[in-house]
Amino acid sequence: MKSNREKIREFLGNASAPVKLSFLIMGSGHFRYGARGKGLIYLLIEISMIVYLIRRGISDIIGFFTLGTVHADAWAGVEGDNSVVMMLMGIFAWIVVFAFVFLYQQNVRSAYDLQKRVEQGLPVPTLKDDLASLLDRKFYMLVLALPVIGVCIFNVLPIIFMILIAFTNYGGTIVPPELVDWVGFDNFKKLVVLTKFAPTFGKILSWNLLWAVLSTTLNYFAGIGLALLLNKECVRGKAFWRAFPVLAYAIPGFITLLAFKFMFSYGGPINQMIISHGGTAIGFLDLDAKWSARIIGLLVNCWISVPSIMLLATGHLSNRDKSLYEAARIDGAGKFAQFWKLTMPFMIFATTPVLLGQFIGNFNNFGIFYFLRGGLYMDGYFLASDTDLLINWLYNLSIDNNYYCIGAAISLIIFLITSAISLVVYVKSPSYREEDTFQ
Amino acid sequence: MRKKLVAACLLACMVFTTTACGSGSDSKAASKSGSDGTGSALFTGELEENVTIQVLENDTAISEGYFQELIDAFNEEYKDKGIQAVDANMDQYLDLANDGPYGYGPDVLYQANDVIMKYAEGKHILPLPVEDLDCYDQIPESAWQAYQTEVDGKTYTCGVPVNVQAPMLYYRKDLLPDDWESTWDKDSDGVPDMTENWSSMYEYSVARHSEDSSKYGYMKSLNDMYFASGFLFSYGGYIFGDNNTDASDIGFAAGEAEKGANVLSQLASAMNEDCIDDTITTNAYSKLADGTYFATISTPDVYSTFLAELEKEYVSEGLSEDDAAAKAKENLVMTSLPQLPESGDLTDGSTEMIDSKSMGGVNGYAISSYTKAPNACLEFVKFATSYEMTKLRAETLGVAPAREDAAEEVGGVSKEIYQNLDNGNIILMPSITEVSQIWTPGQTFFIDLAKDVYRPESEKKYTSLESMKAGLEDMCNQINEAITTLQ
Repeated sequence: MKSNREKIREFLGNASAPVKLSFLIMGSGHFRYGARGKGLIYLLIEISMIVYLIRRGISDIIGFFTLGTVHADAWAGVEGDNSVVMMLMGIFAWIVVFAFVFLYQQNVRSAYDLQKRVEQGLPVPTLKDDLASLLDRKFYMLVLALPVIGVCIFNVLPIIFMILIAFTNYGGTIVPPELVDWVGFDNFKKLVVLTKFAPTFGKILSWNLLWAVLSTTLNYFAGIGLALLLNKECVRGKAFWRAFPVLAYAIPGFITLLAFKFMFSYGGPINQMIISHGGTAIGFLDLDAKWSARIIGLLVNCWISVPSIMLLATGHLSNRDKSLYEAARIDGAGKFAQFWKLTMPFMIFATTPVLLGQFIGNFNNFGIFYFLRGGLYMDGYFLASDTDLLINWLYNLSIDNNYYCIGAAISLIIFLITSAISLVVYVKSPSYREEDTFQ
Repeated sequence: MRKKLVAACLLACMVFTTTACGSGSDSKAASKSGSDGTGSALFTGELEENVTIQVLENDTAISEGYFQELIDAFNEEYKDKGIQAVDANMDQYLDLANDGPYGYGPDVLYQANDVIMKYAEGKHILPLPVEDLDCYDQIPESAWQAYQTEVDGKTYTCGVPVNVQAPMLYYRKDLLPDDWESTWDKDSDGVPDMTENWSSMYEYSVARHSEDSSKYGYMKSLNDMYFASGFLFSYGGYIFGDNNTDASDIGFAAGEAEKGANVLSQLASAMNEDCIDDTITTNAYSKLADGTYFATISTPDVYSTFLAELEKEYVSEGLSEDDAAAKAKENLVMTSLPQLPESGDLTDGSTEMIDSKSMGGVNGYAISSYTKAPNACLEFVKFATSYEMTKLRAETLGVAPAREDAAEEVGGVSKEIYQNLDNGNIILMPSITEVSQIWTPGQTFFIDLAKDVYRPESEKKYTSLESMKAGLEDMCNQINEAITTLQ
């Protein structure tokens, strides 16, 4: 803190008038010290920022706070404000403002640097030099600029938008042309206060965690097992056998799910076989089928996910250090000891991030039970069934009702849970702690 | 060199994306100026000249060629005024509320009443001067009501009903017992009893199945709320109170609705487990054709699918295509739903019968608030709902017109449906958004009811009318919670 203050004092003492003028007119320091091209760019940035602010920036920022004041009425020909668009444009305006503040700061800093260079008799880099360095020393900046801008617009903006929605009353009957308002933490309060909510939330969360752990473990070991099996030297026609899981992988997930739903339905082939052998039809996925539906869900998810793990593992397995296995064999280690002491540590090290991705993917696996067993509300559950995951419940609560704000609030809670789990697991994992083990 | 190449590519991408953004904002700005000054007062009667009207029609109407005939006739008539109607060529599931304000979307749209009235809440469609239309007196009040909305104490009508959808009974004449005229026609009216009342249908279903265990009588999945809820309505149940506008009053358990649940449960007992999930709904076409099922219920718009499936079956039995088509047409019968015993018991032999009610919908035309030519649009709606066009639509598509004169002229099933609507036997789907919450709780109850029939005696939940009433009340509570909890 102190050093910052000292820096400022030093700057105020030493900076020349044109550099100080840069606070008011961007690029003036650059003009003074001969970097005209750069100075011109800074000046243009300032002018376009002022034009942007006048033309829409200021009204966008005000709109961000008010979320609209004029109610649209198509019958009366009143165009009105669209709160959702206003919020989006407001966020965009904030991003522009922050970007400008950054450039503004850069402008003063770089002008001051120029002054020092000139004072020390060093040559002043021209715009051409700067551009050339973008293709050379600072090439990373040039290459990263586009992705960063893309990420800001296509990832950061929607995420901020979604988070902010959780603090509004958007949804239900309040959709454009109605005006949306900020409501603070009301949505979160609602989730906590509702008595019906807590028991269902507890039940669904515990099943959701169990599901995520079980399905991730099952998929992971089944995938590695399949990869090891197909990696064995005695297996002939590996490419041929590998093609089958890949085929399952290539078919879109929801088609697979609908096919399995039909297989296990009352009129499906499995029940047909049972009936033709004199049995009675079994409701594998119906109302009373809690655990059989859950197990079918696990296995079907396995069917869909194992091929990708298998492909991943096949790649990693080929990177194993064969000499380690040779040494282990000489030391008398059996097949299982080799698997647990050599293969698994290596695989876990290499695949922890993927494993986490799988865990999060399974935690939020919307499709499985939506397609296999959607459209049921069970006794003891509030607008959910006993196979629904949090994400399905979120869908029932928010999308069917159009309660976007509540949906956003629940998503934030899910995000907190999953990010906490992934952070803890990742920080504790060998991939993070022993980064150089296998390098 | 390579770096320069990468840099050039990146620059090109950047330029490309910025131009894309630019053109987007341009079109938005352009459309803004166009949507100024619209309103119901705009129906001045002065036709806008040299305009093109984008019409969003029903997919079947387009594929069957009716829509082409309609716009050809309209364009011919209004050629000298320069008004032209064209296919909007947009998705049926468009979102007028979000797209309309930005100038995207049709001028005239043809949709189901619940879809259209969703737009009325946000005033995205215009209130129409329906009293001036020549169809006004021909369409029953209940159909108009489906398009009415109340704003500031005043009632507006936002759509013009065109055709009515309601469940119908499909059965195969050639699967009737040979001696049905002597054994299954007690009232000697030449119509088999099982297609006239559910008690006989149940009796026949049991008889047919016991004769040959692979054959069934009436079959229909219970899990479909749209078809199952009609049984509740017949005994006094309803969806929402105050003419389907008050979502705080949910009436699936009202009156003696439990009797309807009991009838459904009895019918399910003459089926098999397939009635618990949607198995029967998906295989009804082929199973009716191969004679496994004798009857089922469905909407009139799938008549052609049933017919085609039956034709195929006859052809596979060795008939020529023409003979098969004629025989299928002769044997596949679509008729109004059978009557129900007032007692709510299909087995007690009572002869006191009441009419079956059913859930239905009415499709119609509406005009977008964002159109630039409201008067020309209204002219198109007038033209498309005229007697000639409604009749042509009914004849081409086999749909039931909401106009009395057209229904009368087309006759047959169309007339029956019209009469059912007129008598109040078709409960039109509510036009308020809360209706989206009835489906899952309803489906769960009906699945539970069907499943109960196949549960072991000791595990049965619905053994009496009281328990069925309790089940229905549970379902109403769930719907109420779904609607109100997060409000």
